[in-house]
Amino acid sequence: MRDVLDAAIRASRADYTEIRVERTWATGVSFRGARLESATASEDVGGCVRVLSKGHGWGVAAFTSLNQLPAMIERAQELSRAIVLDEPIRLADVSPQTAEALLDLDGDVRGISLAEKTRLIEAYNGEMLAVSGDITDTIANYHDEVTEYWFVNSEGTSLHELRPEVTLSGTAIARKNGTIEKALESIGLRKGWNSVHTFAEGFKKAGERASHLLRAPTVRGGNYPVVLDPEMAGVFIHEAFGHLSEADFVYENPQAREMMTLGRRFGRKVLNVGDNGAVPGLRGTMPFDDEGVPTQDSVLIKEGELVGRLHSRETAARMGERPTGNARALSFRHPPIVRMTNTYIGNGEGTFEDLIKDVKLGVYACSAFGGQTMLESFSFTAAYGYMIRDGQVAELVKDVVLAGNLFQTLDRIERIAGDFQWNQIGGGCGKAGQAYLPVTEGAPHVRIEDALVGGEVG
Amino acid sequence: MIPQALDALKRAADAGDACWRRSERTTIAFESGRLKSAAVVEESGLNVRVLKDGKVGVAGTTATDAPPSDVVTRALASAALGEPLAIEFPSANKFPSVATEAKSAGVASVGTLADIGRGLVERLSRPDAQINVTVEREVAETTIGNTAGGQGSYRATGVSVSADIARVSDNDVLMIYDYYAGVGMPDAADLDAVVESIKTRLELALTIVASPSGSLPVVFSPMGLSAILLPLEEALSGKTLIQGISPLQGKVGEAVFAEALSITDDPTLANRPASYPFDDEGVPAAPLPLIERGAPRHFVHDLETAARLGGAQRSTGHGHRGVFGKPRLSYSNFIVGTTPTARPRWSLGGGLTDGIRDGLLIDDLIGVGQGNVIGGAFSHPVALAYRVQNGKITGRVKDAAVAGNVYDLLKTIGGWGDDGRWVGTRWSPSLLLEGVSVAGR
Repeated sequence: MRDVLDAAIRASRADYTEIRVERTWATGVSFRGARLESATASEDVGGCVRVLSKGHGWGVAAFTSLNQLPAMIERAQELSRAIVLDEPIRLADVSPQTAEALLDLDGDVRGISLAEKTRLIEAYNGEMLAVSGDITDTIANYHDEVTEYWFVNSEGTSLHELRPEVTLSGTAIARKNGTIEKALESIGLRKGWNSVHTFAEGFKKAGERASHLLRAPTVRGGNYPVVLDPEMAGVFIHEAFGHLSEADFVYENPQAREMMTLGRRFGRKVLNVGDNGAVPGLRGTMPFDDEGVPTQDSVLIKEGELVGRLHSRETAARMGERPTGNARALSFRHPPIVRMTNTYIGNGEGTFEDLIKDVKLGVYACSAFGGQTMLESFSFTAAYGYMIRDGQVAELVKDVVLAGNLFQTLDRIERIAGDFQWNQIGGGCGKAGQAYLPVTEGAPHVRIEDALVGGEVG
Repeated sequence: MIPQALDALKRAADAGDACWRRSERTTIAFESGRLKSAAVVEESGLNVRVLKDGKVGVAGTTATDAPPSDVVTRALASAALGEPLAIEFPSANKFPSVATEAKSAGVASVGTLADIGRGLVERLSRPDAQINVTVEREVAETTIGNTAGGQGSYRATGVSVSADIARVSDNDVLMIYDYYAGVGMPDAADLDAVVESIKTRLELALTIVASPSGSLPVVFSPMGLSAILLPLEEALSGKTLIQGISPLQGKVGEAVFAEALSITDDPTLANRPASYPFDDEGVPAAPLPLIERGAPRHFVHDLETAARLGGAQRSTGHGHRGVFGKPRLSYSNFIVGTTPTARPRWSLGGGLTDGIRDGLLIDDLIGVGQGNVIGGAFSHPVALAYRVQNGKITGRVKDAAVAGNVYDLLKTIGGWGDDGRWVGTRWSPSLLLEGVSVAGR
């Protein structure tokens, strides 16, 4: 493959040429209730050529017919030449990288039969179904893949990687007297078959939680001190702050640039935020991004102050900053854009109990169903929550939706516990038509002085 | 590709079907007003399903260098694990005539696409905002075949032109977008509608006003209606029905909603990107009334959900396939409230704001689809909303949230606007609902 790619690069007349080729073997098994919904194996093969010439724009050609590679390079050059630019696109310098980065497959999933994978997820699904008669429906999914990946560019970078990935998820749906509640369990790892055997308890808990939520009251809407568990805090920092730190949001936009000026204060001294694509074994981890730039730990907020942002080579050059290894593509069907990897809130001090002991009436928001931001405004739905009363975790409550303004809320993060953990959850991040990219988040428990919690009002 | 796949299917399985799709999509993107990239994606893939010893299996591939028998072998491995399912493949090979292709779109050059984008950038340009425009054209060919003799093939084109404008002022970030989507190239009136929509909504949003609070009349624009319609889309799915979790189960013919609510799914509409003569399982397309004058009528089904439900239920022609995985249920053109017209008239609120003393007009909400959709309850902060006072839109409301339950709210419909339009594959006018819970801050 490498020879083919090298020859294709040499044949290109563009100033800059890169080629990515991917071959992905994937299997998926899903159960709905007690019934096997599907068990399938698929193979996805294709490539993406991206070229740039002086005075012209990006030309991109993605394709599934690998034998068409020379024609596709020609096609990308035609597209590039069709765009005339006064101000050229520049790429920040990076030194050429050569690597055989064959990540540990941790028990190659390709050697495991579909029947064995089916038995595994069936057992996890069974944990949810066995909880009680309240559980009227479940969804349980197993997905794994191994991607063989090649990247070469005309600057001498040449990479060959093998990337494993496995995700498991369960949704337990409980129903009683017309009320329907659900609870989730989700696991996402850049690992293989050896790491998927210890999750029965988590699936069982999801079933129990769905059942308990049937009897839980809806949280009473209003403003509260809110404690986020590490999962909710991680999703919050990804959605509410992470996307603003992606340099493609600011690099062509003077007003946004002003809003995100380095040195601006975003929070109190306790707040540290970063993004680290190089942590071993996490979902957002890769040795290099999809421009062949090594991944790294990028500090974004240090002691409350904005100190960095996430870059591609193009955004870094434009802003006179250094590339951070955050140009990622969902697959060969897409060009790389600026994305997060493993985003975190840095560790604080003390325990969860310390965090809640002086809260008279508050909300403890746990696990996230999802979150969305419209830049400065955000909304997050916790999977469940508890009231905090007189410094103690009290009753389970449902429909905990946190909404607010990013800037105000970041500034109201007043305490951060010392119990940092990475969330090894599945799902992923969507941006610009590229969904869902494997990412993860990590955080300790976080206390927000005052936040609006939606729910029953009045 | 299909004949070879069917040969392999007949040799190895009791029955089966295959869907092959080839597509080419060209995209040009103006970033902050500058055309910076042009991209093409060429893709072809094969999805096959087998029936073996009464069990169903599926597999898919884009590895076009491999023989179709490879993917059939993988589908057989999938079937070995499957549950018994008495699926019947349709033998139809005569289908309704549905216009899915515009020759002009297929041959449009990158230069032509760029000119459309440039025109929009110029018309929307303003010193205090950034404009992104994307123009996309797709040409696709779909071929299906099965061992019962069913077969068909059609070509489709699709063009979309989307524009968004972002205005950052201190800590206020305002984003407004709109788009054209059709089978053919947009004409001047189509582009005028995009420009007018963005400009009008932007101008009205520059003034920020306080939000009212309480149980209020709220107009949901066609773009703002998703939170209201999503629970119905889930409830009317045959899949939800066979799981026993649809709130509309057993309610066919009952007056569940206000009489003013009617919904039809129609894959046979001419010149819509979601239309087709047959679905990806070879079932002929036909319009399907889902809710008629407030009463549920039909649920959408594909071959599998129909077989699982049993009795007289047949697929309604709503099976959709990607390259990977099994067919899944999906709507085509989801038509709400009024009958689609060829030339929609754009307005904000569709005339529904006239009689409102104090209320909101919702154009976009945050977090739609999160949480417990099937139960009908929603609670969302606004992404883009306007205050309506004494029949006039007085400005943009920030930091407000709306909540309610769709099944309660849709018992009374305050009115439909005269501004029916397409939002993706959904047609609807604005909708006025009374008594929506609004929490201002």
